[in-house]
Amino acid sequence: MTYLYAGAILWIDLTTGTTSIRSTLDYAEKFIGGRGINARIMYDTIGPDTDPLGPDNVIVFGTGPLSGTAYPGCSRADVMSKSPVTGLLGDANIGGDWAAELKYAGYDHVVLTGRSEHPVYLRIRNDLVELRDAGELWGQTTYETRRLIQEELDDPEAKVLSIGPAGENLVSFATIHGSVGNAAARTGMGAVLGSKNVKALVVRGTKGIAVADPEAFLEACKAAHDQVKGADYYEEVHTIGVTNAEYAYVLSGIEAGGDGHEGLDFDPEGKTDYNAFWNKHGYKRTGCMGCPVHCMENYNVPGVGATVISCELYTQLTWEVQNADMLLWYALIRQCQEMGIDNTSMALTIQWLMELHALGIIDANLTDGIAMEWGSKEAITAIMDRTIANEGFGAVLARGMKATAEYFDARVPEERRGGRSTYWYAMQVNNNPMYGINPRLTSMSLSYAIGRRSDCIQDLDMHQFDSVTAPVYPGWSEEDRAHAVEHERELAYELTGKERAGDPDTTEGKADIVHDMGIQTGIADMAGSCKWHTKWLFLYLMPEHYADALSAGLGRTVTPEDVEQASLRVRNVERAIEVKMGRRRENDTIPEKEFSKPVSRGHMKGKHGLSREDLERMKDEYYTLRGWDLRTGVPRHQTLVDCGLKDIADDLAELGLGLEPFELDGGGTVWSAGEEEPVPSAHQRPRPGT
Amino acid sequence: MHVYSVITVDVEKCTGCRTCEIVCSLKNYGECNPSRARISIVRDERDGLISTIPVVCQQCAEPLCLDLCPAQAISRDPQTNAVVVDEEKCIGCRTCVQVCPYGAPFVDPRTGTSQKCDLCGGDPTCVKWCPNDALHFVPADEEGLRRRRTGATKYLELLQTQGEQR
Repeated sequence: MTYLYAGAILWIDLTTGTTSIRSTLDYAEKFIGGRGINARIMYDTIGPDTDPLGPDNVIVFGTGPLSGTAYPGCSRADVMSKSPVTGLLGDANIGGDWAAELKYAGYDHVVLTGRSEHPVYLRIRNDLVELRDAGELWGQTTYETRRLIQEELDDPEAKVLSIGPAGENLVSFATIHGSVGNAAARTGMGAVLGSKNVKALVVRGTKGIAVADPEAFLEACKAAHDQVKGADYYEEVHTIGVTNAEYAYVLSGIEAGGDGHEGLDFDPEGKTDYNAFWNKHGYKRTGCMGCPVHCMENYNVPGVGATVISCELYTQLTWEVQNADMLLWYALIRQCQEMGIDNTSMALTIQWLMELHALGIIDANLTDGIAMEWGSKEAITAIMDRTIANEGFGAVLARGMKATAEYFDARVPEERRGGRSTYWYAMQVNNNPMYGINPRLTSMSLSYAIGRRSDCIQDLDMHQFDSVTAPVYPGWSEEDRAHAVEHERELAYELTGKERAGDPDTTEGKADIVHDMGIQTGIADMAGSCKWHTKWLFLYLMPEHYADALSAGLGRTVTPEDVEQASLRVRNVERAIEVKMGRRRENDTIPEKEFSKPVSRGHMKGKHGLSREDLERMKDEYYTLRGWDLRTGVPRHQTLVDCGLKDIADDLAELGLGLEPFELDGGGTVWSAGEEEPVPSAHQRPRPGT
Repeated sequence: MHVYSVITVDVEKCTGCRTCEIVCSLKNYGECNPSRARISIVRDERDGLISTIPVVCQQCAEPLCLDLCPAQAISRDPQTNAVVVDEEKCIGCRTCVQVCPYGAPFVDPRTGTSQKCDLCGGDPTCVKWCPNDALHFVPADEEGLRRRRTGATKYLELLQTQGEQR
């Protein structure tokens, strides 16, 4: 009897149409599930020579042992492949209703290899697995695809993941869309599916997930539900999602920072007040399977239609591109969802174009005759349409920021671009357009630099986040705001034992916080549940909650240390994959132009900022916590051996990696001349073997 | 007079999270399986507009399932007033499934018998777990009053909005 897991990993070779089943339990103890098992499969199947859009790329969809159970937020699937955006490890996480259904159908993971000769969609119904013709579906929006497939199969309960036209057109940052409002958006997973001629993955299941001790499991799940619902922040996020938070982000300059927004308050009338938009057009709250939070907003706007919006989407096609027309913003979001293109990448790319235009580096001749003026509706809509279609100048943009920069550099004389590549102006990490979150804040920059898919989101320092936005948090009293700042500083100190860990103007303690957050979110990702329920969104599910539920469900003891160690282990697998693809310490960075500049807007204007040395110091500390070599950023041989990854350790050793002695010549660290050695934080559990 | 309780559904509050389905199946069968739950969320997201409607046995005063069951396998629990199936007597003919106006019962292929909500013996699990306050277990004579209060509140809000607009 298999408990919690379905027990099966479904492998499908699209070239030959053959399927096979492997056992999840071969991986479960070490990698738990979800992102963890995905990572191990990725290590074994993709490498530096894999073409992200070629048949040799592999894409894996993974649920976790808690997906589809009574555990809160048990709705997540992790999607991994080689990214056409970064050329490194691509990863995206999606909620909604698909992950649970895959478990009910009897599978934990689906692995797609090869390439289908003509458009197909994968259809799973319990033991039935087939590739069906998707000729009629090709070209349809994600919304229509879902409806048409449910009609074709005469099954309104079928759950669908699909790409839109952007993925079909191989736009590098295309998305995979699930139930409305849910997407595996970042790093171009939609383009990978498009390159394999796969339009959709459809699943329906009526089998159950067995539980070893139903009573104890219900108790453990209830404890987790109670924790989430009892958290201070629950009341707000449960009633208005993160609309307040997002508005605070832009008001504070933590989002839409950067030189293009220098000193700018482009919306003095508050037209972009997200709460006002929700009050006016909000239809109902919605959320994912098994989630007590329902953090998302279902809107219905006359003349435009209905869609679901949450989180970052509020700030990007508004403030990032200086558009205050909320109806335009709304229509664009809906278009992104229907067409299957990443809102973040699109918005930050358009921002870059607008900034280059404002600086006089590019003109309309280079962008299909469209003047990239800040906030120009014509520019935004034209660029969106053409990029989705992979046509005109959009065909350049579709290949990503680096390719676009090369295109510009070949056509813009050096003097006009300040002697620099236009890439220098791009807000990207390893070619992944950054979220709007400002890298000029200490721990934010570290989160970006070491981000495992080259963005910050996994490893955010929410203490810093909250303490810089709280002073302008809409709807909060002055007292509440002051209390929030103080509270976050206390929590940061508690976690790290370092007094100034909560202070944005120092690097002290930031590595500890970012390292810890990576562990916590990793646990949720492996379990198949939502990382927002961890400290990431102040709801504070801790390793104990996961361990208790897993123990009761699996009928064997899983400790909090087990899940933490698994999270550390998985991160090392991911790092090893990227290291083999060429990632090193120097790739763990933020755009050079962001250093030694203060925040340019909002109540923090003129404040904060960090130097290159600051980032490098934090990286020294972070690598030390991780057990990665300080010069190269490669996991040390012993680190990998100690966390049970000897085969990976030996692979890297064969490439001459990870074997450098720990002590550096002359002592000290790589970047700090004469300062003290980075010290492992007080709270850190001792790494095995050290 | 013993006043029994019924499950009421506040459709507007339901977000379709399906926690009710999961815990119902877990409690009754020891497994997480919405397709075996006695409460069901009917969800639609046509064109991006989401509707989620919980469907649960209404424990009718004149249950068609009870009246028409050819095996007399369905009866009324005197304590909870729930309409319950005696699985020993049930022959799995699906008459109850076909005659119920709500589609509440279903014949589980695994047991071959009709499965329907029995109010968990008077302490419904789904009601305890719904995170969004969409399910309530209320005395049957109160249900009408609560509806009136909800309706009256909405009417009052409407009047206030109109008043503000003037």
